Amino acid sequence: MKKIRVVMIAVLAFTQLTGCGAAGGNAQQAESSQATGTAAGSSVFDGELEENVTIYVLENDTAISKGYFDELIEAFNEAYAEYGITAVDANMDQYLDLANDGPYGYGPDVLYQANDVIMQYAEDKHIYPLPAEQLECYELIDESAWDAYRIEVDGSEYICGVPVNVQAPMLYYRADLLPEDWESAWDENGNQVPDMAESWNAMYAWSLQRHEEDSTKYGYMKSLYDTYFSSGFLFSYGAYVFGENNTDPSHIGLAAGEAEKGAWVLSQLASAMSEECIDDTITANAYSKLADGTYFATISTPDVYSTFFDELVMAYEGEGMSEEEAKAAAEENLVMTTLPMLPESGDLTEENPTLIESKTMGGINGYAVSAYTEYPNDCLAFIEFATSYEMVVKRSEMLGIAPARQDAAETAGGTSELLYQSLADGNIVLMPSIKEVAQLWTPAETFFTDVAKDVFRSESERKYKDLEDFRAGLENMVQQIHDAIFTLQ
Amino acid sequence: MKDIFQRMKDGWKTSSKQVKLSMFIMGAGQFCYGKRAKGILFFLLELCILYYFFSRGFRDIAGFFTLGTTEADAWLGIEGDNSVIMLLMGIFAWIVLAVFITLYRLNIRDALRMQRRLEQGKQLESYRKELSRFLDKKFYVAALTLPVLGVLVFNVLPVVFMILIAFTNYGGDIVPPRLVDWVGLANFRKLLALSQFAPTFFRILGWNILWAVLSTALNYFAGLGLALLLEKDCVKGKAFFRAFPVLAYAIPGFITLLAFKFMFSYGGPINQLIVGNGGMAIGFLDLDAKWTARLIGLLVNCWISTPSIMLLATGILANRDKSLYEAAEIDGAGRWKQFSKLTLPFMLFSTLPVLISQFIGNFNNFGIFYFLRGGLYLDGYFLASDTDLLINWLYNLSIDNNYYCIGAAISIVIFIITSILSLAVYVKSPSYREEDTFQ
Repeated sequence: MKKIRVVMIAVLAFTQLTGCGAAGGNAQQAESSQATGTAAGSSVFDGELEENVTIYVLENDTAISKGYFDELIEAFNEAYAEYGITAVDANMDQYLDLANDGPYGYGPDVLYQANDVIMQYAEDKHIYPLPAEQLECYELIDESAWDAYRIEVDGSEYICGVPVNVQAPMLYYRADLLPEDWESAWDENGNQVPDMAESWNAMYAWSLQRHEEDSTKYGYMKSLYDTYFSSGFLFSYGAYVFGENNTDPSHIGLAAGEAEKGAWVLSQLASAMSEECIDDTITANAYSKLADGTYFATISTPDVYSTFFDELVMAYEGEGMSEEEAKAAAEENLVMTTLPMLPESGDLTEENPTLIESKTMGGINGYAVSAYTEYPNDCLAFIEFATSYEMVVKRSEMLGIAPARQDAAETAGGTSELLYQSLADGNIVLMPSIKEVAQLWTPAETFFTDVAKDVFRSESERKYKDLEDFRAGLENMVQQIHDAIFTLQ
Repeated sequence: MKDIFQRMKDGWKTSSKQVKLSMFIMGAGQFCYGKRAKGILFFLLELCILYYFFSRGFRDIAGFFTLGTTEADAWLGIEGDNSVIMLLMGIFAWIVLAVFITLYRLNIRDALRMQRRLEQGKQLESYRKELSRFLDKKFYVAALTLPVLGVLVFNVLPVVFMILIAFTNYGGDIVPPRLVDWVGLANFRKLLALSQFAPTFFRILGWNILWAVLSTALNYFAGLGLALLLEKDCVKGKAFFRAFPVLAYAIPGFITLLAFKFMFSYGGPINQLIVGNGGMAIGFLDLDAKWTARLIGLLVNCWISTPSIMLLATGILANRDKSLYEAAEIDGAGRWKQFSKLTLPFMLFSTLPVLISQFIGNFNNFGIFYFLRGGLYLDGYFLASDTDLLINWLYNLSIDNNYYCIGAAISIVIFIITSILSLAVYVKSPSYREEDTFQ
């Protein structure tokens, strides 16, 4: 693999320097910035549109497949037709490598990525700092979302991306699979929201009951190895990823606070699932199993709502409903909401527990401008257009995303608003934006897999018998992350 | 050294003024001897190369040593130096220099040959005669010049580039736009420092050797067995059965591996069958499944590799001397004797180099456990799992962290180990020592 990479770099670089590749210099752009000594990078955004050019935009695959991106570029191209500016699909893998491709002129001009990806590029100045405060959306987006795109270089602070939507795990459940007596037996506070959606204790109890009544059915199901979804249980009890606001990899905080309680919660939830929670089986089957009623609930990101919805519609149609009836039933029964609250003690069997807010790992997806573009002002215009109220609302409608703009979140209502609020309340822990985060996943996945597997081991082989064992496991994971980051540095 | 200078001195004394001229201006001697077209051709080549060196070649050679002095900054519009490209173009410049020296030598030898012919009272050869002599006696030079140039640029250059990376600090945080530096043997010293992880290293090395031996033997005998089976007269539909394994061979390896991963997962068809029949789901590849996972790895690798061995064996078996088998049968040798005394030695003689390459391939088989059971760090292992091979472990330690320099250093070490092993086996083998046994 490395050999291929090296050969590719060699051939790319060779063709580039012998004149066979596309040029991607931008020296002339920024000469002015040097001369004026203004905030680096931003000065390339002088407000003068580059006319009669084509800009390449990298969007995410869902936006392309659901048709949103076509509508966006069509609307933009129409709005900017008088300047001869055309935005087109960069037509490349969404997991691009701007650091290696950009300098040789192969990257997109505008890219839509998660904050951690964009900010890793920002560290090496592969993307431009933006004049964010000049954008119409600036005041309408929560400060914490902008923080995800802030970087300090040589004592100055810059913003390198424009937040579009908030990504965080959401609870999906089927209202029609609730017990018939849920309003009397499973709505303790009488707020017409089932307890399962409000407390993990109730979800756990219902999961056990459902499986006991029919051994082929389950309550809450999720592949627990997935760090993105499972780490939130640790965060809720005081854990964090890196110190100094996720910027200091020498302080790894996944065992901090009472994180062991979060691991214990995961272990208890696993005991109400099948062995499939150990690997990725549940993640792969969640759409169809929620639709056929095998699972009552799962967690996933908001952008896959439409996939859950389509599967449920198909399942209802299979049961004999017409298309319209099926859609109406799916709309009514498929509920996406924020995660239930956790017991302060970590004990899911505790009666009348004191509840605390669930925290989740999340991300902010947004737009950024490649530092290798020749048309920065057109790129900024595209971003301004794509983050306008109309386009973000349309994006939310078509893709089910939760907007980062307050006005769009309010218009979208429901979970989008809840998610916006979660972000503002600090219940969404943003993924670190430093390179070292790449070393988090394997050790954490191993630990979460081990916790899930442990439930299915025989009593004599079990590794996690009390909170001390969970703490030891977490500390081992932290040590592995530390080793992975620092061994060869 | 003294000899060389003496020869040069003698050469200078005995050479004609035309040859001396060629030493200063390529093609000048040929031009003076009346071979103007050839002289101009040499001169143009010299001009091109000198143009290259003055326009960028000397700068590239200097860049090869410095690896850049100005860091690029896209925000400030400072284009800066790209160390990786400077290294690459530096190597290219050295290759051009080598080509120039070769051409220069050719130019002088050609001029000398002309001098000698004239001294012997012979006429200079016409272009046509010279060309036909060249094509007749040195056809290989004519045929191989362009391919060799291609190999130099597209093969040797990246390989040299990769080797040199092992002596730099390229990787981690030091990637363009940051400037890369030469660090000598520092990366190899870091590898030695990894000795603190010796228990993991030896545990993985032991499993790696066992894996390489078992998988090579399994694939080889499965392929040979299949070829022998399909050679039997009693087997009907041979073409179909021969084509069938090829399908497994034709499917990209990682697709096969992901398919097997799914089959052995908790929600896969095998566990569905077990659970459907009232059994408990088995974690074939999960974190407790050390030997089950290793066995599945061996079998899946066998599934992927057997067809190629089968095809190879089918071809080789077709060339067997059937009379030997007839004679053995008359002498009362049974099937096993015939296999062990005739078929196997013949096959081993013909396929030992392939077997060695299979062994090396399996020793460095990165994909099998990366796709089947990647993403686990287990207790008792330092950043590795109990199915990881050395290459997987070193990947976790180096490339996963983008430490290209360490990766390159490790590649060199693995290359040295495997090449010593394979050379040692090869030179001891009958394929090398008794080349004419089956001729």
